[in-house]
Amino acid sequence: MLTFIVKRVMGLVPVLLIAVILTFLANQAVPGDPIAALLSDRSGDAVLEARLRAAYGLDRPLLEQFISYIGGILSGDFGLSFRFAQMPVSQLIGEGLLITPLMALAALAIAFPLGVLLGTLAAIRQNSWVDTGIILVLVAGISIPNFAMATGLVYVFALQLRWLPVAGWGSVEQAIMPLTLLIIPTAAYIARLSRTYMLEVLRTDYIRTARAKGVPERVMLLRHALRNTMVPLLTTVGIILGGLLSGTFVVETIFNIPGLGSLAIQAIFARDYPVTMAIVLLFTAFYAGINLLVDLSYGLLDPRIRVGGGGR
Amino acid sequence: MAGIFSRLSAVWHSDLALRFRRNRNAMIGSILVSLVLFVALFGGLFAPYPYDRINMAVIWEPPGAEFLMGTDALGRDVFSRILIGARISMLVAASVLAITFVIGVTLGMIAGYFGGWADTLIMRTVDIIFAFPELILAILVAAVIGTGTGTVIVALSLVWWPGIARLTRSLVLSLREEMYIDAAISSGTHPARILLRHLLPNIASPLIVRASVGVGFIVMAEATLSFLGIGVQEPTPTWGGMIRDGLDSLRTDPHLALYSSLALGITIIGFNMLGDGLRDLFDPKMGER
Amino acid sequence: MHLNHGYAKRRRGRAFFLAAAVLGAALFAAQGADARNLKTSIPADPGQIDPITYSELVAGDILGNMYEGFTAITPEGKIRPALAESWEALPDNMGFTFKLRKGVKTHLGNEFTAEDVKATFEALLIPENKGGLNAGYLDVVEGAKDMKDGKTKTLAGVVVVDPYTVTIKFSKPDVLFPVYPFYFMDKTAMAGGAEGFLKASAGTGPFKFVKWDRGQNVTLAKHADYWGAKASVDGVEFLIVPNADTAVSMFEAKELDVVYVEQAALRRVMKTPELKELSLQAPAAQIRYLGMNQNLYAPFKDKRVREAICKSLDLDSMITGTLQGLALPLAGQITPGVAGYNASLKPIAFDAEGAKKLLAEAGFPDGKNMPPIKISSTDPNRNEILYFASQLKQVLNMPVEIEVVERGSFIKAMNAGEVPFFPWGWSAGYPDGMYFLSQVWYGPSPYNRARWKNAEFDALIEEAQKTADNEKRYALYNKAEEILVGEYGTCPTTVRIQVALQQPNVKGLALTAFRFLPFNSVSIQ
Repeated sequence: MLTFIVKRVMGLVPVLLIAVILTFLANQAVPGDPIAALLSDRSGDAVLEARLRAAYGLDRPLLEQFISYIGGILSGDFGLSFRFAQMPVSQLIGEGLLITPLMALAALAIAFPLGVLLGTLAAIRQNSWVDTGIILVLVAGISIPNFAMATGLVYVFALQLRWLPVAGWGSVEQAIMPLTLLIIPTAAYIARLSRTYMLEVLRTDYIRTARAKGVPERVMLLRHALRNTMVPLLTTVGIILGGLLSGTFVVETIFNIPGLGSLAIQAIFARDYPVTMAIVLLFTAFYAGINLLVDLSYGLLDPRIRVGGGGR
Repeated sequence: MAGIFSRLSAVWHSDLALRFRRNRNAMIGSILVSLVLFVALFGGLFAPYPYDRINMAVIWEPPGAEFLMGTDALGRDVFSRILIGARISMLVAASVLAITFVIGVTLGMIAGYFGGWADTLIMRTVDIIFAFPELILAILVAAVIGTGTGTVIVALSLVWWPGIARLTRSLVLSLREEMYIDAAISSGTHPARILLRHLLPNIASPLIVRASVGVGFIVMAEATLSFLGIGVQEPTPTWGGMIRDGLDSLRTDPHLALYSSLALGITIIGFNMLGDGLRDLFDPKMGER
Repeated sequence: MHLNHGYAKRRRGRAFFLAAAVLGAALFAAQGADARNLKTSIPADPGQIDPITYSELVAGDILGNMYEGFTAITPEGKIRPALAESWEALPDNMGFTFKLRKGVKTHLGNEFTAEDVKATFEALLIPENKGGLNAGYLDVVEGAKDMKDGKTKTLAGVVVVDPYTVTIKFSKPDVLFPVYPFYFMDKTAMAGGAEGFLKASAGTGPFKFVKWDRGQNVTLAKHADYWGAKASVDGVEFLIVPNADTAVSMFEAKELDVVYVEQAALRRVMKTPELKELSLQAPAAQIRYLGMNQNLYAPFKDKRVREAICKSLDLDSMITGTLQGLALPLAGQITPGVAGYNASLKPIAFDAEGAKKLLAEAGFPDGKNMPPIKISSTDPNRNEILYFASQLKQVLNMPVEIEVVERGSFIKAMNAGEVPFFPWGWSAGYPDGMYFLSQVWYGPSPYNRARWKNAEFDALIEEAQKTADNEKRYALYNKAEEILVGEYGTCPTTVRIQVALQQPNVKGLALTAFRFLPFNSVSIQ
């Protein structure tokens, strides 16, 4: 059991290392000189340029920069921002670090039960108008882009009804619309999957036997059908989270939320390498971490996985 | 002549076609998809104005007789731009699909069939790419190569081929045990022949399902990249970019964002429904991821 | 085995949400009792919050409330004394003696004296401090070069005569030195470097720095011992709102008191009657022009080609169109409201036929033989270059394509003279036409991005720098402008009209050609 866990965790290391290498190389290849952006209107000044380059360590050979970068990461130092003169990246992303993952997880926490509920409802009442209705809503939910839904929501709830604030972050009310935009496509996705899995489970001999034996519908539903639906659903948590993380990019930009997503977009356009790299790595680590947790819990559930040494 | 008709009639009445027609998802989906594909292929012929014709005298015209869907900030006809936008979206989707399938299926088959170090190498690469959340990787690629249609295609292909490879590999692994494969191997058939003539046709259906579901997400991803400013560039119209342009003016001139969102929504819904329908038909088991 | 994994996960999930809600509520409560601050928006984080490295517009909007120079600008765009009560030129305009205002208290509680002037100038010139825009004005001071080369840490040309009198000697004449927008700092604050200014501000202005929450806001509080008209609001909050439309929405929802409306939201403001009623307008002291670099595209060398290009731009329809009527055609390269503006210069009229003829005369009939060229600019100017490109293609059949470039590399390329064809602008740092002519069109200026050179023009500028008499100097500006425009050295395009929104209960806001004046004049009923 322990070997299983250890093996899995160790498997993460090369992946993360390669992620670091790739992002580092990617940022070297980016067109656009960050020192130019920093100098802006003063870019004719060669002396100033040389000084800035030295301050940011950009005049050292590539390998040296890379090694010092790795060393820095391990101690939580992601270097200095290019956009905000010499401000440590860790300070910049510190606040976002609390916001974005929290939003993603909060959205997941609400979307998951909501999705399962809707999906189950549709499955039980398969082919009824309830089912069709729900399916239509679900398809729309995953097909309409969140940026299109956003302005509709803002228009109705912030401007017309004045129930919610337009933008910003810090109060519970300000979190409602952004969270809703993250929840809708996620819940829709989960609902579709749960509906499919539930339908399948309901057709199994196991359920038919239980019914024949006279087990009350509700009990059977909760105890057996639902549990068996959960297991395959869990394996999709990874994709869902990936979708949520990308969702935060758009949602944070629209609602002016100072999270990692909007910071990353700004950093890319401003050629702020260190910030972009740090955020990409953090997202990747977060994503990989959650996937690892899911993998481990799946391994806990299904002994075959553990023993068989590596799932499909 | 009569022979062709009778053959078409036979197909129309075949069991598969019958089930297809009864499946609501598949029917609605295919209608929408055909509409989009038609527009993508021939839309240019119906565009009343050149999509890049700037006319300051008619900026932000509301939809009307002269401009079916109104005009944008530069007086360009929204309807014409939406028609061309369909072409761009389908072009990107088709390219990404083609690239990811060729690469993904090939590598997946090699990994599944031959196993060994090829398998490990390929699957490790897949794992690494899977470690990145999709959009982040796409954005990173765009940040490196620069913006534009080519970038979007490369970025999305990079993100998607591992999924196809992994799916292909597991399909091949389960089929490999089949008797007739064993027979083919023992009779000395060349591996390439086995892969192409025996394995490929049998894994086609889940792959087709995967493709049709995938297109919906590819279109959405391209729109998101264009919305963020990293995708297709001006003056080429793309629905994501048009939504971005229209967003700031939603209060005063909603038609730009509205019609492009509608076009985008219909397209993605169509492909998703078609995919669902096909999955119901071909693949009773859920072959996700 | 019990497969209740799903429940556990959901319970954990709910716990997360609860934590989030609690955190959110706590943050909300922590804002505390609301001192009545003036709330306004800025489109991005400022590049910096210290007056030494200050180099860009957003930072300037904030710093202008905290720091002052020798002089200040009135709502009518004229100069009035600020930290200097009076000044006298030295012989041949080779310097000035300033008499400073007495009894001025800095944010740190010290009295402002001539030592602070000297310390500020020295701080700007020390190379390690990376002095920004304000350092550029000091090049004329004697000894500036030695400081920039690192040879000395004191500025020889600045002499402290007594605590309220300072004499500044130049190495070449500069009559406009008193109006340069310096930001004087308390000398005791220099030691902390740029980071020092994040903890406390050291200016003399009506507001002082409180905090900067990256991505969220910059907050200032009123300076109770300000020498001038003390602020009636308790402070200013600059909320960072990158999206122009969102800022207007926040204004509608009364979350902002004052908004400087950015380009993208102008149409919405003009088309919504309630908003239009609450708007202020003022032409901007900002020139916009089309740069044509003759070194990089051969046809530009021919004056007829340049004239043809200028004449094929229908600026009026661009103004009624994309700019929502919120602009005026620019005739020269000095804007209305700025000293030296020539009201009798006429904008270049749109003349498609004339343009075609000129192009043909120059040897490019109907655009034939013209090599392909790209017109480039940054993303916010996207619509502008799309328009220009389509006009040039339509009228002249010129092979023009557009190119949208990222801001940092674009500015660098422009400064290096590497961009052949581009629309750009320049905002006045001080209220005198010299700013535009000397920074943008004077031959040796590093910001002459189109690399236009004309010896007569340069001579006139140098002459003007020595001419203290205003009327005579303005006459020189006019002559120089006439040369620039007569030679079609550039195509002047437009003067933007700025739009700002203020809530009905806000009084005393001043929107001038130089954006907002400091907010100490503003009161909220």
